[in-house]
Amino acid sequence: MSNSTAAVGRRAFLARLGLLGAAVGVGGLLPRSALAPPAAAAQNDVLPGLVDLLRPVLAELARDTLNGLSVFALPGPDPYSAAQGTPSDTPGAMEAGTTDFLIDALDNFVPFPDQLAKPIGAALATGLADTGIELPGTELLPAELGTLDKALRALLESDATLPLSFPIAGMLNLLATQVNPLAVNGAFLSPFARLSYAEKARAFQLLEGPDSDLVALLDVRFPEPLKNSVSGLLKFVGGALIEFASFGSYTEYAVFDARNKQLTARPVGWELTGYQPDGPVEGWDEFIGYYQGRTEVRD
Amino acid sequence: MRDVIIIGAGGGGPVVAKELAAQGLDVLVLEAGPRHAKPREQWTSFENDANNPLSGYFRLGPTDRSEPAWFREWSQNSFVWQLSGVGGTTQHFYGNYPRAYPGVFNDYDKADRNEYDVNHRFPFSYAEMVPYFEWVEATAPVMTAAMGTKEAVFFRGCETLGLPVQTTKTTLAPSYRPQENAILQPGGNAGRTSDRNLLNYPDATGCTFCGYCFQGCMRPVGAPRNQFAKRSTDNSYVPMALTADVWAPAGRPVDLLTDAYVTRIHTERRAGALTATGVTWRDNASGEERREDAKVVVMAGGCTENPRLWFNSGLPNPNDWVGRGYTDHFFDWVIGSFDEYTGNPKGVGSSARLDFPPYGGLENVGLPPALNAFSTTLSDSGIRGQYGNGRGPTGPWDGPAGRVMGPELKELVAGGLDRLLSVLVITDDDVEPDNRVVTSALPADENGPIPKVTFQHRARTARTTRNREFMARKAAELLRGAGAKKVFRIDWAPLILHVQSSMRMGESERDSVLDSGAEARAVRGLFIADNSALANSLGGPNPTLTTQALATRTAEKIFERYFGGDPWVRGGSPVVSTDPRISARLGELGL
Ligand SMILES: Cc1cc2nc3c(=O)[nH]c(=O)nc-3n(C[C@H](O)[C@H](O)[C@H](O)COP(=O)(O)OP(=O)(O)OC[C@H]3O[C@@H](n4cnc5c(N)ncnc54)[C@H](O)[C@@H]3O)c2cc1C
Ligand code: SF4
Repeated sequence: MSNSTAAVGRRAFLARLGLLGAAVGVGGLLPRSALAPPAAAAQNDVLPGLVDLLRPVLAELARDTLNGLSVFALPGPDPYSAAQGTPSDTPGAMEAGTTDFLIDALDNFVPFPDQLAKPIGAALATGLADTGIELPGTELLPAELGTLDKALRALLESDATLPLSFPIAGMLNLLATQVNPLAVNGAFLSPFARLSYAEKARAFQLLEGPDSDLVALLDVRFPEPLKNSVSGLLKFVGGALIEFASFGSYTEYAVFDARNKQLTARPVGWELTGYQPDGPVEGWDEFIGYYQGRTEVRD
Repeated sequence: MRDVIIIGAGGGGPVVAKELAAQGLDVLVLEAGPRHAKPREQWTSFENDANNPLSGYFRLGPTDRSEPAWFREWSQNSFVWQLSGVGGTTQHFYGNYPRAYPGVFNDYDKADRNEYDVNHRFPFSYAEMVPYFEWVEATAPVMTAAMGTKEAVFFRGCETLGLPVQTTKTTLAPSYRPQENAILQPGGNAGRTSDRNLLNYPDATGCTFCGYCFQGCMRPVGAPRNQFAKRSTDNSYVPMALTADVWAPAGRPVDLLTDAYVTRIHTERRAGALTATGVTWRDNASGEERREDAKVVVMAGGCTENPRLWFNSGLPNPNDWVGRGYTDHFFDWVIGSFDEYTGNPKGVGSSARLDFPPYGGLENVGLPPALNAFSTTLSDSGIRGQYGNGRGPTGPWDGPAGRVMGPELKELVAGGLDRLLSVLVITDDDVEPDNRVVTSALPADENGPIPKVTFQHRARTARTTRNREFMARKAAELLRGAGAKKVFRIDWAPLILHVQSSMRMGESERDSVLDSGAEARAVRGLFIADNSALANSLGGPNPTLTTQALATRTAEKIFERYFGGDPWVRGGSPVVSTDPRISARLGELGL
């Protein structure tokens, strides 16, 4: 691969991850000046600062992506649900705090071994350049790519724990741009959040399918027997993201006061389902007797 | 040097502990997880606080909830639902205690005898098991379930299927009935009021119909621990084991250590035979390792953890069956939507069932909102109306099977959870060598290499697949018969919570780990006393009663083989776990 094809590949890849847009696109989160290609001699000094600037960008990108996932699980009266084409009058995942629920779980509680999270993150950062998908509009993205790319690599290679929400978001965004290359540009930070409901479903279809391209591509980065594990894990992740986002959307997560073990308001999921109209109970007047009057049986 | 060390205080371990404590042996129980000794302070009844598998109080992890849960690998879209802590996975179970079908034992000779998993029968007769069933049924105790609306709706559906009502403990033919369950029947105000002021013990006794079984039973308020309605082992067998001195004439209370993760079983050669000598465990909080020796070691860490501990201890595996033959009842989920009140999710999680030997069975299940959402989105068939993931079977349900999620789920629940009724499809599934636990290639955790659970769920045997399809259709017919306006089949991805037979006992030494006394064929003095010891999937009945009956029998085998004692079940009469002497002693112990 020539240097210039590699550069286009990297650019397309960072765009597909959502990172290029999030960092420096319209409404991007990084000042352009931060990415101005520094003089070669100064490069090593600039990079650490940039890595620090990049962290919140990644976090915002992850949040935006997971907003797109949350409303996929439970749409409501918010812009993400509207963008997905399923607006709703009643509260949904954004009101239920599902994105925070997911980020909290992914970044603080998934006992995912770092030894695994890091190579996956690295694979996302370096391994998927040449997927051969045409991305319209990539040429509109700015040229400060090289610095951004280096900063991303430096971040992924550092010893700091990688918040799992980032590789998860990156994966969803890659899938999103595979389903709809136009999603690389538009409202929101995240390509995934730009998809319609049917396109999001299609992204999950790719992830869950028996021979997902993404799974195959990611496997490249791992030696056996880990390779097999990673592909299995991604299938699990495909299902788990949907199940966990759905579970979280209907829980008390957003209104639970952990210290007092009490609710501060009625959970969205309870409101939507009519669960426990008067709050938690000690019992119900629901006992209607014994079937056919039989209170015990024996042989 | 102990007489017996028991690894795991879940569904099976405490049974052996209690039985041998009653015989006066010196028993140490090591439990990897927490002890919820003060549930009113430690629990709520909220789904995320309780059931979040990463951070909930019911999870597989150490006591300290700021520490991560223990990671397990499964290489397919599936979920293995196991809990750590005193009570193990029974902490959030539903207490259904049906007996295994007679057709899975080796003396069965009825006309349909060849339609069961005939290659993996129990290595003894149903008749031999009956006294142990009866012993556990009297101890737990097991009762006929009280009925709420969700049971009445389920029975209305059953009545349209042309099946008889079962009025015996033993299931003789396809039939339906209230569950026989390990739940104390409602007494006093229980089940008759929602006024919390009237629901304190002893004004209310037994099940108050609160509907929080999945979040842990701590009701009625103010009852002694051994009088809580649901007989998870933290409420039944563990209190008995801890107080054996007050209810058994020669009893000696067990020692129970929690946050004690057993990482190794020690062996040595004695008189030419490899023999278990003791265990090493690690304290979750301090990281400190400790070792104790014992005459007998009993594994009861569950179907996933036992094979792991076996491998990590370097124990022999001559026929390569350690971890193999894992059965899971290959569940499915069918949900009906009604125009009328169904009583979901009030009362015990499930109080009605339909048995259909030799295919499997059905149960009604009530679930609160988030677990309901989890249940309708766990599918191997993609998303309804979007993609089928290569499956999406059609049948007497509406449209193709698949996830009901997003806008469709929101619409489904908008009529109210109490307009829904769910049916759990339970498959009589075959023991298959490739459904198994191995050591994961992923990094080890602090307790050693972790287990990986593999289910070839798209390549189950023809009999297993046939049984699941048959029972899923029955579930849909039942719901239609009950009056459901819409019926959805989810086609669950493997939800592995009825776990069985991964360290199975069997007739043949070629495909079993344990002999007919539940002692390891390869290691003397090492017994297994939880679900993993079961020979097969029981034909579909929920496993815990059969595990506990078998564990009772195993306790006798241990006492006979290693302590020169006599069996007690046939000639004895059991003490019920609600006995007031136990309550009084628990009070003295501050439990
Ligand atoms: C939602 C749900 C509902 C259910 N409902 C029913 C029902 O109604 N009826 C029924 O019969 N069954 C039901 N089950 C299944 C039931 O929970 C199991 O059959 C039962 O708990 C299995 O008992 P066990 O001893 O094999 O394993 P567990 O109960 O899982 O116990 C194993 C214990 O060992 C501990 N342990 C593991 N490894 C180690 C180690 N190395 N060192 C120390 N300790 C260790 C674990 O922490 C755990 O406490 C249900 C399960 C679920 C998930
Ligand atoms: S419904 Fe009954 S058995 Fe279940 S938690 Fe409530 S009181 Fe206990």
